Amino acid sequence: MSRCVTVWRHLAWCALLAVAALSQARARLAPWPALAGKTVLFVTGGTSAPQPNDDALVARHLRELGFQVHTVDARVSPSATRGAALIVISSTADARVLGNKFADSRLPIFTWNTFDYPNLGMTGPVLHRDFDVIDPVQHYADSFSVLYGFGANITSEISRAVGLRPQLFGTLYLEPETAGWGDPGPGGTVVTDFFGSRHYAGVFTYEREATLADGRTAPARRVGFYLGSDNFHLLTAVYGPAAEDPNLRHWAIGLKLFDAALRWAASPPPPESKYDPGALDATLRQAARGKKLLYVERVNGGEGRHSDAHIVAHLRRLGFKVTVADQTAPQSIARGMDLIIISGTCSKWKLANKYVDVPVPLISLEGLLSDALHFSGRDRYVDYGEHGELLESVDPPENYLDIVGAWSPMAAGLKPGLVKFTEHPGVLKWAWPLPDAIVIATLPNEPREDAIFGYPKGARMAGGFIAPARRALLPLDNPSYDQMTAQGKALFDAVVLWTLGR
Amino acid sequence: MYTRGLLATLAVGLLLSAQLPAVAGSAFPYHLVRRIALPGTGPVHALLFDPRTREIYAAQGRRIAVFSLAGAPLAVRRPLAGTVSALARNGAGEIIAAVRSPAQLVFLSARTLTVEHRRALRAGPPAALLYDRSANMLFVESRSSGSIERVDPRSGQLLGRVRLDSALGQMAGNGRGTLYVANAARDALEVIDAGAMRDAGSIALHRCPGPGALAMDTIGRRLFVGCASGRALIVDADLGFTFVRLPIAGGSKLQAAFAFHPWGAHGWKGGAFFAGSTAVSAIQMQAFVRYRDHGQLLLPTPCTALALAAPVGELWLALAPPSGGRAVLWVLGVDRSEVK
Repeated sequence: MSRCVTVWRHLAWCALLAVAALSQARARLAPWPALAGKTVLFVTGGTSAPQPNDDALVARHLRELGFQVHTVDARVSPSATRGAALIVISSTADARVLGNKFADSRLPIFTWNTFDYPNLGMTGPVLHRDFDVIDPVQHYADSFSVLYGFGANITSEISRAVGLRPQLFGTLYLEPETAGWGDPGPGGTVVTDFFGSRHYAGVFTYEREATLADGRTAPARRVGFYLGSDNFHLLTAVYGPAAEDPNLRHWAIGLKLFDAALRWAASPPPPESKYDPGALDATLRQAARGKKLLYVERVNGGEGRHSDAHIVAHLRRLGFKVTVADQTAPQSIARGMDLIIISGTCSKWKLANKYVDVPVPLISLEGLLSDALHFSGRDRYVDYGEHGELLESVDPPENYLDIVGAWSPMAAGLKPGLVKFTEHPGVLKWAWPLPDAIVIATLPNEPREDAIFGYPKGARMAGGFIAPARRALLPLDNPSYDQMTAQGKALFDAVVLWTLGR
Repeated sequence: MYTRGLLATLAVGLLLSAQLPAVAGSAFPYHLVRRIALPGTGPVHALLFDPRTREIYAAQGRRIAVFSLAGAPLAVRRPLAGTVSALARNGAGEIIAAVRSPAQLVFLSARTLTVEHRRALRAGPPAALLYDRSANMLFVESRSSGSIERVDPRSGQLLGRVRLDSALGQMAGNGRGTLYVANAARDALEVIDAGAMRDAGSIALHRCPGPGALAMDTIGRRLFVGCASGRALIVDADLGFTFVRLPIAGGSKLQAAFAFHPWGAHGWKGGAFFAGSTAVSAIQMQAFVRYRDHGQLLLPTPCTALALAAPVGELWLALAPPSGGRAVLWVLGVDRSEVK
């Protein structure tokens, strides 16, 4: 009996993993009716709020969206969150009074209180470097710049909900305005940015279990938004005949962004992941059965030859129909394939620009291909690079990864923080992908050197390239596969499973 | 054409302007400089300022009177066939009177008010006229049938009609072939492609119950909407986006007027004025994106019509006759030294 229960549990877990990995890999937004009646704890400055402010308008808007709104001021006790489904923090609340009282809250938080970002761990603590508030008094020129946001990410749920494009949009209506930005950590997702740099995020999020900028784990969803205290009413929108013009419709999206970000915050996150290599293996077998996989390597190469053979054997054992191709084979060989894996044994020079635009999911085990594959910019050792290569790297060998995107099925259920990837320190590649990438792991102590990440289909990649299918980086240098730890192998399988999805 | 008795009555009314009431609300830019008592007991339904001749036309009942800006009565038109509900001036300088019953447009020569010709209207009694000078388009609104007709501004020939099934208010044109109409039933601005005379959609006016008053800047980018609840909305016409809300005196029969530089180059950049049953309110345009409310002037009786005579810095208001009394025109002027 107990064995039967165990089997059923196992199967249920497999199904959950499969659904998570093979679908969008991110929870969908809850429909508005499902959020109706939920209580929002709206934290404002109360009687101390600067005047004028739009808190009353925001409260009204929240009610119009169907929420029950309980307005409190910054001195509120954290216990007041009982019964609430979402905390919304206005910039009128004094961040010094707020302190870190909501930092550990397991309720999602939607905030435009820029000075509170460090309290919540959403950014670093340094004003001007990690976050800032642009206002027409202190930063007159920049207060014009923040009227223009950029769709840095076009595949997040928020981005999809508003139809965000990789182009400018009007954030606020036309006058120099107050707006905040934050520079989230590697576990954050930049949705929009200012000034042409992802470091100046106007809208950014953390999924539950994502690693925050201060290294802690997000206990629930977190959203930072660029709004000022008195310009909610200036969030752009378009009505009437102008709404029929797609250009204007995609320009005036400030209010839609606000609503979508709020909705994302209030929607249930994906189920908490669990490290279970057995279940992962079973799920991957199910997904791989009969799938055609092209494995591109340096056939009959020297170093890494055994690793390649073992990887191929593993993939065949999972059920893939593997075709092994030499790096010099023409791209046409990929036709009809379900997945392409490019081995770390491949020569970047010999591989040329093959497989870049092929509409088949692709995993690169070679980080130095990142520029060619549009995973990152083209500045070697700045946009991508490696640790541990004797002559080519100034960084020491490494065998640990820092999991920052534990929420993603690509993380194989591993918890946030350091994980031993290979048994011995060696070469580990990295790249700095664009904001559309889902970042799973960085190299330790190098928050912008991302070792495992994936681009969803349709994502904006470097150089304006749009991902024709899923793309992922897994830093497996030539001989490393045979040295992988159990966690490392789980990450390998999880990345394969995710990339195989749609 | 000239009616001696009426002119005498008007002259007496002019003398009454010596006694001026106090202006309520110190920030309101205008003050009362003349008060003209009109002969009849009926209300004035339309006021029209002719910038070319610098004269004011007032339609009261079936009559139309012409005033100089000094308030001197110049002419009075013998009664037309029915009550005049609206006045407009076309590009040729003719005065167009909308007569309710029988529903028709009457084209009059300026100043002498000689009838040039008439054109029957089929959509029902006209309630408002709008001549869009830049687009050279004339629009006739019938509230009873909920329709707008575009007619030739010289001949009155019907060129197109659009039916809007609701309670319509003032119209405004952007000079580029788009007409906006306040719709109090839907809390929206109806947008009409005036070239094709088709309904091009509507601009929702959030938290603006009963929008009836509507004016537009002459560039055609800003719409000034008066809500019955006592709010003025300023709408970016390009986006349909309301970006300013300011308090005004509310009411169900608000009317709006706008002018750039309402009292010359050194005054305000622009001013929108909303007149209703209790007061006239002022909104100052400081810049295209910046506005402030500039107070109110209380009115003894409801305003039935208003006209801005911007070149001379005057705002004319027609006030409903009090019980048993006569209709009055108020001429508001500005102390230029006080208005920056």
